[in-house]
Amino acid sequence: MNDSQNIKLIHLITILFLLLVSLSQASTIDPPTSYFSQYEFDFDCDLCGCSTGSGSFGFGTLNNANFVGVRYINQQFESKNGVFTNSPVSKETFNTYQLWAQVPINTSFYVSVNVPYQDLNRSLNDTNENLNGIGDASIIAWYKLPFYKKVSNEEFEATEKENSGHSLQFGLGVKLPTGKFEEALVDRVNPGFQVGTGSLDAIFSLGYNYAADKFGVNTLLSYYLKGENKNEYKFGNQFSYATKFFTAFAVKKAMIMPFLGVSGDVFNKIEQYGETINDTNGAILNSSLGTEFVVNRCIFGVNYTLPVSQNLFGGNVKSKNRLSLYFNFAL
Amino acid sequence: MKILKISFALLLCAMVSSCSNEDDNTENLAGQTGTLIIKFDNGVGDQDFIFGTSYTKSNNESFQLSTLKYLISNIALTDDEGNTFMYPSEKNVFIINEANANNAGEIYVTLDEVDAANYTNISFGLGIDQDRYALGAEGQGNFLTTAEAEGMMWSWATGYRFTRLDGTYSSNTVTNEALNIHMGSVGTSVDNYNEISLSLPNTVVVREDKSPQIHVVADIAKLFDGETSVSFDDGYAQVHVDATTTGVIANNAKGMFSVHHVHNE
Repeated sequence: MNDSQNIKLIHLITILFLLLVSLSQASTIDPPTSYFSQYEFDFDCDLCGCSTGSGSFGFGTLNNANFVGVRYINQQFESKNGVFTNSPVSKETFNTYQLWAQVPINTSFYVSVNVPYQDLNRSLNDTNENLNGIGDASIIAWYKLPFYKKVSNEEFEATEKENSGHSLQFGLGVKLPTGKFEEALVDRVNPGFQVGTGSLDAIFSLGYNYAADKFGVNTLLSYYLKGENKNEYKFGNQFSYATKFFTAFAVKKAMIMPFLGVSGDVFNKIEQYGETINDTNGAILNSSLGTEFVVNRCIFGVNYTLPVSQNLFGGNVKSKNRLSLYFNFAL
Repeated sequence: MKILKISFALLLCAMVSSCSNEDDNTENLAGQTGTLIIKFDNGVGDQDFIFGTSYTKSNNESFQLSTLKYLISNIALTDDEGNTFMYPSEKNVFIINEANANNAGEIYVTLDEVDAANYTNISFGLGIDQDRYALGAEGQGNFLTTAEAEGMMWSWATGYRFTRLDGTYSSNTVTNEALNIHMGSVGTSVDNYNEISLSLPNTVVVREDKSPQIHVVADIAKLFDGETSVSFDDGYAQVHVDATTTGVIANNAKGMFSVHHVHNE
């Protein structure tokens, strides 16, 4: 990454940050009544770095609906570089730096935004390749449907409805082709070695949350309807799922919220010129472990993910582990 | 609410665009040509071929090679409308030499000025056909000199070596005995030229601005354990101009090629 790119990136992040902060201040925000009364997972579409990067990444801030923040994701892959069982293996490291936010529109609607910067490295024997640049940004509009406890007839009608802790979220969004797709790179064994898909994709999401005093669950199901890019190349449609169980305890002024979860992705085959390409579909199931530290309005999170089972690109690509670190500021 | 409206508008765009991928089939390709690369990748079974590595075969025999070459000619491509493009004859002969392979073990054959089309089949010959041989020494152009320099000729009267595998083999009875598989037609008396036709797993789209690649895998093990299994100890360690042994190897060679995948760029 050269200096001018660095500066551009910093400018972009600053502008977006200011934009998001001003937007959020322009809307009314209901202050959370307790840490668990209102939390969301983030919408998390890390399609780039690219097709194996997934929307199953999990989540962001457990206890605050709305935030602006930054996240760093490190993903490791190993790809067989040739058609034989003893073909050399290349190692890929995908670094993703994201600016992400969840901004309320009103009490029922909110929007999540994600702008990634990709820094992808690949090494085979002594050869190293690097690819970097702005990745594919995404934006999703969400509708939140909370469930309330049943109120018996004897109680006063004036009493405010009590939140049951259960809620559903419906998301509709798009992933924009802001990252550059390089056709020459489709020759690579790992077709995810791209900063962008070059396509406009539709995202359909369904989330379910439950939060009690000391315990919570986040579940997110997403389907990515992928568009064809100008090279007549279309990444396979993708189904992603993620669920997390978390608890919380206070240590002095901080809240510590450890979580355990599973996540996964199922990919359809890649299509080019309207034909499917063999060995480009696959599935992966991950386990994840992590925690959040919350001090005032600052949330620091760490999430480590390890594959449990996988079969990506005909077994030619292996996802190793992923580490994600994030720092969010609650709005 | 503006963001909401914008995002719904974007979503609508995505849905519309993902439904409108009708291809333009009226593309006029007349006169347009492109480059096509054929990658030859030698292997032994599911293993990549490496010089000096010992590979086991039937009859409890093993072999390792220091030379691995073969001749490919008459590359032709058939498109989705049934038209066949034959690469110009004078250029349509190549020596595939493992020693010239890149880091990935692939030997590139680059075909220029291939008619733009959507190709679904490739065919090529292993060796030199009788028509080309009948052109005489003069008619071979520069290729005769190249083949001689590469040790792919016996003599003009006997003709070309279609395969040249040099190395050693071991069996139950011998260790590191010389192994030389020099298969070819013998003058005009023995014709061991065979053509191989392979359908492509995906359409290969050749255009002025697109240079696709066809990845051909050659399984060397098939030469010895193909349609017929041969034993080095039993007369197949030294295969030269003999009509029987060259014929068996030539027949086995018909089954050694496959198209693993194609790349469209």
